[in-house]
Parts: sequence; C-alpha cells; structure tokens
Amino acid sequence: MAKVAIDINGRLFQEEVPERMLLVDFIRERAHLTGTHIGCTYEGVCGACTVHLDGEAVKSCMLLAAQADEHKITTVEGLAPDGELTPLQEAFKSEHGLQCGFCTAGILMNMTDFLKRYPNPSEQEIRKGLIGNLCRCTGYVHIINAVRKVVQENQLRKT
Amino acid sequence: MSQRKNDDWMGTPLPRKEDRRLLTGKGKYVSDIVIPGALHAVFVRSEYAHAKILSIDTSEAEELAGIERIYTGDQIKHLIKSMPQPIVQPALPAHYPTFWPLAVDKVTFHGEPVALVVARDKYVAEDAAELVFVDYEELEPVLDPEEALKPESAIIHEKDGTNEIFSMTFTGGDTEASQAENAAEVEKIFQNAPIVVKDRFKTHRTGVTPMEPRAILCDWDDSDGLLAYITTQRPHIDRLALSDILDISAEKVQVIAPRDQGGGFGVKAPFYRENIIIAHAARDLKQPVRWVESRYESLMNVGQERDQINDMEIAADLEGNMLALRNFGLADNGVGTTGVYWGFVMPFLGAIELPNGYKWPKADIRLKVATTNKACLTPSRAFGHFPTRFAIERCIDMVAHKIGMEPSTFRRRNLVADLPYTSITNEYFDSGDFLKVWDTLMEKANLPDFRVQQKNALSEGKYIGIGFGCGVELSGVASELFVPMENQPGYGAATVRLDPRGKVQVFGGDAPGGQGHETTTAQVVASEFGISPEDVIITTGNTGSTPFGSGSVGARMGSYFISAVAEACRELKTKIAKFLAHDLQLEASVEHFEFKNGEVVYLGDDSQRSSFMSIVERIIMFPINMPEGETGGLDATTFFEAAKPMICFNADCCVVEVSLETGDFKILKWITAEDVGNVINPLIVNGQMHGAIVQGISNTVFEEFVYDEKGQQLTADFEHYKMANAADVPNIDLNYATTPCPHTPLGTRGIGEGRPSSVPGALTNAVCDALKPFGIEITTLPLRPDAIWQKIQDATQ
Amino acid sequence: MQAVKSRMLRPAHIIDLQALSELKFVTSEKGLLTVGAMTRYVDIVSSDSIPLELIALKDAASRVGDRQVRNRGTIGGSLCWNYSAACTPVTVLALDGAMNLISPDGSTRQVAADDFFLGPLETARNEFEILLSVDFKLRGSKSGSAYKKWGLVTDALPVIGIAACLHFDNTDCCDYARITLTGLSGAQRCLEAEASLLSTTANTEEIAEAMMIVCSKIPTYTDSMATADYRYQLIKTIGLEVIEIAKKRAFGLG
Repeated sequence: MAKVAIDINGRLFQEEVPERMLLVDFIRERAHLTGTHIGCTYEGVCGACTVHLDGEAVKSCMLLAAQADEHKITTVEGLAPDGELTPLQEAFKSEHGLQCGFCTAGILMNMTDFLKRYPNPSEQEIRKGLIGNLCRCTGYVHIINAVRKVVQENQLRKT
Repeated sequence: MSQRKNDDWMGTPLPRKEDRRLLTGKGKYVSDIVIPGALHAVFVRSEYAHAKILSIDTSEAEELAGIERIYTGDQIKHLIKSMPQPIVQPALPAHYPTFWPLAVDKVTFHGEPVALVVARDKYVAEDAAELVFVDYEELEPVLDPEEALKPESAIIHEKDGTNEIFSMTFTGGDTEASQAENAAEVEKIFQNAPIVVKDRFKTHRTGVTPMEPRAILCDWDDSDGLLAYITTQRPHIDRLALSDILDISAEKVQVIAPRDQGGGFGVKAPFYRENIIIAHAARDLKQPVRWVESRYESLMNVGQERDQINDMEIAADLEGNMLALRNFGLADNGVGTTGVYWGFVMPFLGAIELPNGYKWPKADIRLKVATTNKACLTPSRAFGHFPTRFAIERCIDMVAHKIGMEPSTFRRRNLVADLPYTSITNEYFDSGDFLKVWDTLMEKANLPDFRVQQKNALSEGKYIGIGFGCGVELSGVASELFVPMENQPGYGAATVRLDPRGKVQVFGGDAPGGQGHETTTAQVVASEFGISPEDVIITTGNTGSTPFGSGSVGARMGSYFISAVAEACRELKTKIAKFLAHDLQLEASVEHFEFKNGEVVYLGDDSQRSSFMSIVERIIMFPINMPEGETGGLDATTFFEAAKPMICFNADCCVVEVSLETGDFKILKWITAEDVGNVINPLIVNGQMHGAIVQGISNTVFEEFVYDEKGQQLTADFEHYKMANAADVPNIDLNYATTPCPHTPLGTRGIGEGRPSSVPGALTNAVCDALKPFGIEITTLPLRPDAIWQKIQDATQ
Repeated sequence: MQAVKSRMLRPAHIIDLQALSELKFVTSEKGLLTVGAMTRYVDIVSSDSIPLELIALKDAASRVGDRQVRNRGTIGGSLCWNYSAACTPVTVLALDGAMNLISPDGSTRQVAADDFFLGPLETARNEFEILLSVDFKLRGSKSGSAYKKWGLVTDALPVIGIAACLHFDNTDCCDYARITLTGLSGAQRCLEAEASLLSTTANTEEIAEAMMIVCSKIPTYTDSMATADYRYQLIKTIGLEVIEIAKKRAFGLG
C-alpha cells in the first residue's frame, strides 16, 4: 500500500492505495469523480480517460495513482467549477459536438490543453490533435466545428 | 382568423438538453452507478476456439482474500435454465443451440465465458481469475463457413447435428415448388440476357463497437426481487428474459437502462449471457454484484458482424434495364449462442433488403448461415445489410461498365419511381421520392464536370475517381416483420403525463445511447402543447415506470416512438379543449383552439383563452363542474403502429484520389442526399448522418476482426483493431431532399440505423473508378492499400 | 505501461523517474547534442536546441502515438523498451546516438546505438543501469536526416518506418549514410544499402537501387496489416521519400 496526496480540481485527496492502483481508478473510485471514463483495457488508445496532469493532457489509465502523488490533476468536473461552461464546452453544445458523451470528457480535456498551446490551429492540426481520442458517434465533424468555433471566437476577440 | 402554428420547435436546431450534464462530467452511465457493498465480477474466458473442458480448478483462486464465490458451468447448469428461451427466440425456423451463461462441457469460441469470479475488490478479482486453471482438450476448430457446411466437417453444436443454423429462400413464394419454378425462370433470363455479371463479393468481420463497453449492476432483495442496471437498448426484453430464465416472477424484476449510455449501435441490443449469471450471483450471494466489461472482452465477444460471402449475378440489357438478380449468400455466424438474434437474424434481414431501391423484375435470393468457432455475430448499425449493400452496389457498377453506361445513369434508370412499392423480397416501401433524392445528389456531384477533371488529372499522372451508392433503410420495424423476426412487437409506446403546474413528463420504454431523444421528444411535446422544451422531462429505459418498448433499435424513434408521443399529446389536447370549451361555454372542439406561447386560445374569438397551466391544473386538481362523461386527470398512454412498414432513403457520392505507388487513397469529397422525412432537430439529424458515414468508412477500410488458423482472436485491443481517428476521415457535405412520411402524425421518418450501408459500395466504386484505366474491379473488403496496390501490380504486369 | 497493465510484465517494484528533472534537458554545445533520458516527446518537438541535421528526431517525436502520449512518453523510455515497431529507436540508430548509462556505484559507460539495440525488447542496458542521456555528434554542414512511417491509421505504430542520416562531401557526393528500418523486427541497419549510396550523389535511381538492395536482404511477412510484398513496396517508397528529404535538408533545401 502507498500513501498518496493528489490535488484534484483544487481539492486534496489523501488516500492509502494499492501501489498498482491506476490513476483513473483513483479519480473514479476514491475521488468519486466519474466524469472520466475507461474505454479500453491496457492499450491506452481510446483517450476517454484524458485528464490534466499539472495542466497538460495525459491519459489517466496509463498512470499509476502514485505517479500523481503531490501533483495537480484537473478532470472534466474541474473545467467549470462554478457552473459556468467554458467557451469550449459552450461550443460543443451549440455545434452538437457530442452524442453519447462517453468520449467527450477526454476530448474536452485534450482540446482545452491543445488550444492553450496552439491558439490558432488549422483544421488539419485540430484533426491531428484529436488522434488520441476515439469517437464512435459523431464522425468527428461537429467536434472539429466546435473547436474551430472557439478558435474563431478567440481570433475575433484579438482584432 | 389567425394562423394556427404549432410547429415552433419543429425543425429547430435546439442545443440538447442532455449536453450540460455530459459536458461537465455529470452523466451517469452504468459503470458510474454505485451501490454500497457491491461485489466485483470478473469472467474467466476460454483460451481456445474449440475444446472440451476436462476440469476446472478454482482452489488456488479461492484462497485469495476477499473472494466471495467462483461459479462454473457445471455448478450452475442445474440452477439456471438453459437457452434457448422463447422470449429471446425469433419465430424463424432455425437450429437454436442449447447453452448456459457459462460454458458447459466444452468451449466453442476464443473468449467464451467459462467461470465467474466474484470478489470484494476488482483488482483481486482479476488476480483470482488468473488463478482459475481450466484443463482443456483441444478440438479442431471450424473456422470457414464453406468448410463448416461440408459433410465431413466437425459439428460444433452436436445436438443440432449440423453447422447450418439457418437457411432460407427469399423469392419465388413459400413452397419448394414455387421457388424452383422461380429459380428456373430466373435462370432463363440469365441464359438470354445480353449482359451478365457474376462475381463473389466478400465482406470481412467488422462492426460498430461503441465507446462504452457493456456493464451490469444487479441488486437483490428477498422481498422486492431483482433490480438490474444494464447497458442495454432493450430493457423491457431483458427484464422478461431474466424473469423467465431465472424463474423470478416478472413483477419482481426491474431493469433500468440509465439515460446515459455510451452508444449502442445494435451491439447492446441482444440479450447477453453475462446478464444472466451476474443476476444469478446477486440473488445467490444476496449482495449487489457489478460487472464492467473490459475492451478486451468486448472486442472478443461483441460487435462482430458483416462476415459474409455473396455470390451475386445481375442480368441486364444493353439499354440499361435491370432484368434479374441472383444471389447466394453465405454468412459466417460464429457460434450463434446469443439471445434475440442468434447471429443469423442479421443476414436474414440483409437478404430481405438485398434488392435495395431498384426495380427487379425477377430475382432468386437465397441465404445459408453457417456456425463456426468464432464469436456470435451481434448487430451493428446497418443491421445485416452492410454486406449485401456492398455486393449489389459494386455489382451494379460492374454491370454499368460492361454496358458502357455511367453507373449513376444506370442506377437512376432502375430506381423505384412510384411508391408505395413492394420489393421482390416483399419488403414494403411506404413512401418517398427516390428520384428527387438522386437528382439532388447528382446536381451536387456535377458528374460532367468531374469527368473533365478526371481526364485532366490522368494526363498529369493522377488517378481520381467518383463513386455512387444508395440505400433504402428501415424506418422502424413494423410488427408484421418484428414478430416473426424477433418475437417482439414493433409499436411505439409513450406515456405523456401532465402535472398541475403545466409541466410534462414523458415515459418511453426504449433506451437510447446518444441520439438525443430527450431533446427531440421535448421539442415535439413543446410544439404540440405550445410550451417550452424546458418544461418537458423524459424518462426512458426503466421497466418500472415506462410502457413496453421493444428497444432503441431499427430507427424506431423518429418513426414509432415520437409518433406515439405526438398522438398521446393530441389525445390530451382533445380533452383539454373539451374542458376549456365547456368552461367557456363554447361549442368547440380541439380544432378550434390554438396551443401556443403557454396559452390555449379560441380561434373564433381570441379573448376566449386560458393559460395552459391553469386549464391543466383545473382538470387534474379541481375535477368538479365536469363536461359530460369526463373524469379528471391528464395522462395518456398511446401505442402507435404505422399503417404499413416504413422506409427512408439516402444516396452517397464520394470522390477519391488513389496513389498508384502505394495503393493509398484519400477521400477528397463526400456528398450525400437524404430523405429523412420532416426534421425535428437538424443538428441531431446531421450528427446522425456524419456518425453513420464515418462508421461506414471505418468499417470498410480500417476495422477487421481477425482470427488465426487456430481460431485465436488477434484483434482484442484498439492497437490491433484499428478505428478511424479524426485525421483519417473527411468532412461530409449533407444535403436534404425530403418527402414527409404520410403514415406518421408528424411526417417524420426513423433515420440513422441503416445509414452506413451505402458507404462501402460508394467508396469502393470511387476507387475502382479512379483505377478504371487498369480495369480493376474490387469485390473483397476491407478496402486496404495493400490489396489495391496488388491489384494494380496484377493489372500492369 | 501497456505491458504492465496486460500483465506481460510483473515488476515487483516500479520507480518513477519523473522527479529527476536533471534528466530532462536538450543541450547543444561543441558539436554535440545531448538529450536527457527523461525528455518527453513534446519537449523534443518544441526544443530550439535541436540542429537541422538531427531534425529526424522531431520527425519521429512529433508523430508518436498522439499528443497525450507525447506529453508523457520519454525518449529514454522508448529506447530502453525498444519495441519492435517504434519510431525513436530506429531514428536514434540512424543518427548514431550514443547511450550514456549509469550503474548503482555511480560509474558510467557509453554504448553506441549499433551495440545498444540487440533485438525487439532487448537492449545492452544491464538490469541495474539507468539511461541518463543520449549523445549525438554533429557532422556539420551538408548533413541531413529524416524519418517517416506508414501505419493503417494516421500516426499508427509503424508497419514500416525508415530513418536516414546522410552527409555529403564538398563534391556533393555522399560520404556518410546510415539507413535504418523498423516495423519488422525492431530497429535495424541496412548496411548494404548504405554502402551502395557512398560515393554517389544519391539521385533518385541510386536511392531506388539502394532500397531494392534492402528488399533483397530482409525477409518480410504477411499479416492483416499488410502483405509481405506490400511491405517491400513500403520500404521502397518510404525509403525513397525519406532519403530524398534527408538529402534536401543536407543541402539546405528542405
């Protein structure tokens, strides 16, 4: 067993965990934040578990909880803590960028990080940025539209 | 007289009610639901495709701390009824193999459940599963459907005495004599036809696996019985099946499909054996038991469809008239041991839909379905007809090439022009204007312009091509098909319940997985009553509170369910109008009132009105001074059965560029034309089309379930089973050419289910068109660069 | 991590090195580029310190997995794991990287890439050694490198991946060539092909000939991703593309 202290969305979770506990399981079961999902087994390909580790998008199913000890995790629940949706979340809503919602949290976390780093991406760059998130329902079209909407809004704000 | 408008919300791209919770991580999928004290279940699954179970040693596993119980087939076969059970058995003549939820005596596919470990900790349950030692005696696996049907083949389900689980002839009537006569007539046409194309079309094993794997959480109480949360598209059927199989009186079984499900696409429509044993464990241990499927299990057990050979022939004349169609289909069913569909129902429907939207004067269509040592076929969007659609759309292009006609012209000439129409396999097309859809597509496609571009490209050494496809798709499933096909009714059922504050609750027994039913339903109800969609709440998928629904399958929402909702609303409006007329002392009925902006207004004199809320409150809360023969209350449950089976229609055009050097191709354009009937929410309909087309592309090109020569599954993770990512697929240009459906109250059609089916043909046709200078015809999927490159090599050697 | 989760590997202990910030760096000085073992792919892609002649490192790092993986995966992790179809080992082999290893007693040794990669999942690292960093000697002007791969979906693990590092002398003749291949059985050198390019200008025909030599020396196989013949075709087409890009870069054109 290992003692870990993980900051998730600004709240500190101090727990004793089996060393082999995955970060995604810690988030879902110990912090009771079920917005982060598990969509594949050991391969870490689907991206539904994407969270921020110290502000950067990573796959929480490919990390042990112990590796997040004394680090900051942000999950989808932490994007809009006061209830006011972020521009990206609003864009997903207005552009119908989600259907079943199972992959959505992972995409929001990935794209939030992506747009911080690349505020003016081309469509092709957005598509490449999304390689780590599989979606079955949308065919990706509306997801791209949602991300582009935020990019356009940001560009307008600049001018 | 003011215009009556009750369509404020129809056609509105309203952002969804579902989204806020899903965007903020507040969705509740089955695996998110917590029942304190729930035990965790892990399955031990077969390592072999075909083997006898000699013994199972659970002693080492049981020694781990926290193991509650380990079940094996031998133990439970005396405690649980075996399948088949009538509730999950079609009314079709077939061999239905006997099976229990855990393998008994032998295993028949790699991944079959053999034992179940139930433990307090889910990691420990995984540890224990590894320590269950099964002693197998390997048997020769049967892996090829043609081999499986040979007399010398090993029989997989010995009791059945055959590996031919199902066979049928779909043309020429019901008797052997009439079918033989038909076959002879068809043969004569082929003998005399100036143009005949014959080829073998193969589609691989692939399907639409959803992002959320399966899960079930069962709770047991000795008085209340069983409560099961299941990832399912058909909770009402699951409930009856659990009741029948586990001998629990039906009123003591409740199944809840949560309102949040991570996609279904048919994969969550069968009745699965895992549900049986988990429910049994909960009852046995008197503790909640939870099973969450891993992707590994999912890819090995479900989502496998489309595995089929179609030996197809088309006869035509030189003017471009289709004369006859002959097809012998052979489906690789896998083991067939899955309830509701048993694998073969998919190819069964695929054979019925084989003629597509063309006028065939004569046809001879037959199907055989073979049992093999692979996972049982499970439904996937474009249920059963992805292979037959590929075959016919490809074969049509090949015929057009032989005649020397543009494939699109050949299609248009033979599309059904006058509806209603009954196909050569007795499929009823109720309504629609196929030519209008086709012409809309062709205008956008601008074929003459493309042919010029193609010529110019060729002179620069570039190979671009254009391909077409189309599809007649089910819009719901009428009882007259649903009862024989799946022993279930096709009606849509909805309860609409008004409350004294003028808000509405809707109850529906089907169980969506992302299609936006909450929003669509709210828009319709809001339009009917003249209120806001925010005032409408829908409950789905809970057998304890909703009327019976056969499930979120077969595009039943826009066809059957929403129609039941509309009719229930109209029943209530009739009653509301009657009360208001009575209270205002008017000789009037519902057609004299307008429901709009939260009010009910008399059209003859708009000073005569009431707020919606107050008249509703009056009827529910203050039932005195009543109209003749009326009671209080505003609750209506309606069952909607359409007059005739219904369809929708779509057409695809895609443009590709092919690299001669590598056989790689890029989709430059994807254009569609759709008849979706009247649209309630265009955002949602657009999303359905995008998703379906990309699923079709991904299935056609990237995804393949692979078994090696020993029947070992090689594609049990996403590293090996490759799904299209965002960089692999194009944008899609959707176009609509709608004809309202005359058989539904709103003129809507059920859409989205069959949509992927025209994709493989259109895409492959485009690649072949690009490679026309080499005379290449591709008849096998998946559509892969290495296969395309090899064809180019063979043609240029 | 895939191997741990699938229980293929069952370590008794796992020690996370992410806190060792001293292993996370990219420095370029005195004709030597050194990359710390814990440098992430995303750091390599965004580093300003990687000279043009070693840009193949960025070609590889920018397409490993996806961006979430690149935020986490390290060059050292990839090199020590040496998976049979991976982008980083084959690129480091082409660039003639030298691995700096440290033992528990503090002693260090350097192992050249040719001696480090022994076969799929096998390296010359001893059980108790840690990889500290990788050194790349700079060749100076008229050096160029590139990496490209093909997989079924975009940025998939390489079915075939080829890296090349070339140097041209003052008569524009190739006097140094390292061509490496992955996807079949881990990172391997194509020695005969390299030899065939020396003393040539590495024009299209000469490159094509070199890739034909590779095909004649290396067996391929058929699986569901690609046929054996197609793998040869990929070797030829990707090889040609990669070597031409490396050459263009060597001449400051790419």
